[in-house]
Amino acid sequence: MDIIEIENLSHRFSDGTLGLDRISLKIQAGTFVVVAGPNGSGKTTLIRHLNGLLMPTDGCVKVAGISVKKDLMRARRLVGMMFQDADSQIVGETVYQDVAFGPENLRLDYVQIRKRVAWALDAVGLKDFAEQRPHLLSGGEKRRLAIAGILAMESRVIVCDEPFASLDYSGVKQVLKQILTLHQAGHTILVITHDLEKVLAHADRLIIMQQGKIVRDGVPAELVGDLESFGVRAPRTSHLGMEICSWLN
Amino acid sequence: MAELTAFSFQPGTSLLHRLDVRFKILFLILTSLISLGGGFKGLAILSALVIALIVHCRLPLKSGLKELRFFLLLLLLILGARMLTTPGAALIEIKSFVVTGPGLISGVLVCWRLVVIAFLGFLFIFTTPSAGIKAAVQWFLRPAFFIPRVRIAMMMGLIARFIPVILNQARESVEAQRARCIEMRKNPIYRLMRLGVPVIRRTFEQADRLIVAMEARCYSENRTDPALSATPIDWIALIVVSVICGWVMIV
Repeated sequence: MDIIEIENLSHRFSDGTLGLDRISLKIQAGTFVVVAGPNGSGKTTLIRHLNGLLMPTDGCVKVAGISVKKDLMRARRLVGMMFQDADSQIVGETVYQDVAFGPENLRLDYVQIRKRVAWALDAVGLKDFAEQRPHLLSGGEKRRLAIAGILAMESRVIVCDEPFASLDYSGVKQVLKQILTLHQAGHTILVITHDLEKVLAHADRLIIMQQGKIVRDGVPAELVGDLESFGVRAPRTSHLGMEICSWLN
Repeated sequence: MAELTAFSFQPGTSLLHRLDVRFKILFLILTSLISLGGGFKGLAILSALVIALIVHCRLPLKSGLKELRFFLLLLLLILGARMLTTPGAALIEIKSFVVTGPGLISGVLVCWRLVVIAFLGFLFIFTTPSAGIKAAVQWFLRPAFFIPRVRIAMMMGLIARFIPVILNQARESVEAQRARCIEMRKNPIYRLMRLGVPVIRRTFEQADRLIVAMEARCYSENRTDPALSATPIDWIALIVVSVICGWVMIV
């Protein structure tokens, strides 16, 4: 089943710049997709259409068979988004309150909110931090908090925009492990990055973007050789003719 | 992670943390109004209450005073202006400057009142999450059906959420400018302009990102707000605060 269907999607910004140019794409439920491309290639613009943060100038985006335009709140519930700047997405003043923000918006009752928050915090290993101020968490913990916020809304697709930006080695491993656990649990994962080294070993599919278009789409091992011609650095192991390695090994 | 400003909510289990937000807002309004009309004895009683609460809640006084340094500077200016402009018997005379007795008394009184109110507000912010403030404001505005109470309450909650963010950004900008020798420039207007413009720009950018993150998590005005429930402790606290306010008015 295709959980995301994009047909002829174009987006033009208010200043006239073309952000996306007739993109068509289908993503199967449960897959792990990496979208790569240089800065300004349209990666973030593309993912912001998945939950209606941006609306298409032309074309259509469907999530689980229903157009995003038709049912915006459903799309936002099904597609959870982890932004590049973890600090700016913190809404609550405690870890608990931050995770509860989504379920409160869904107008769940107090018992359900408590249940969902407890489950989500447990799933990302932040149960003991519930009463702590989120701004005091480490970079990796803040990313996991963002994931907990998504899980509490019971999203089926998890979109991570540059999830490893400005994280140290241990932070990268924490976040990567968390993403893989979610994938194993059946979530569809979309990782947007230009730093493929850390994540490509785990991806089922690699999409390369350039100037608002999809220029390559396929199995990562087959596309690695093309990466640098599109301005994306290939993993170091591929330079040595070796298989792409996981950061968790 | 950068050090956080003292002017933000800190989770805890103190009495003030446990009180219903509606009662806390009521206490804040009551004590602030009473302190505005209070004399020296009344202010001493209110100050004793504030000090007891500061100790009880473990308010970070040192970092709080550091944050309040510009406010303290303002108080000094008020004190100076009162001392020099209020007519009365001269205490000290230096050339054309005359410090009068009534001026000194009225200056100290005004500054003391403002300090009490500032610390009451500090205690409120320190012990109350912005979601609670939002829910309480919404509750107070319930009778005024013509006012968009949900929007007003959300704005107030977000203001409380943004105060530490803005202060943090201002501090980062000050440090970045110090690293580039801004202290060599003695013109305060130039320094203020150099600080103000980037802080305001960053604040708006941060607000934009926060809005996008809130929208992505289905934010709407029609949401489940934190439960507000008055307990016997709130009613006991109301009696205690009312007695203290009455006492301040009498003395």
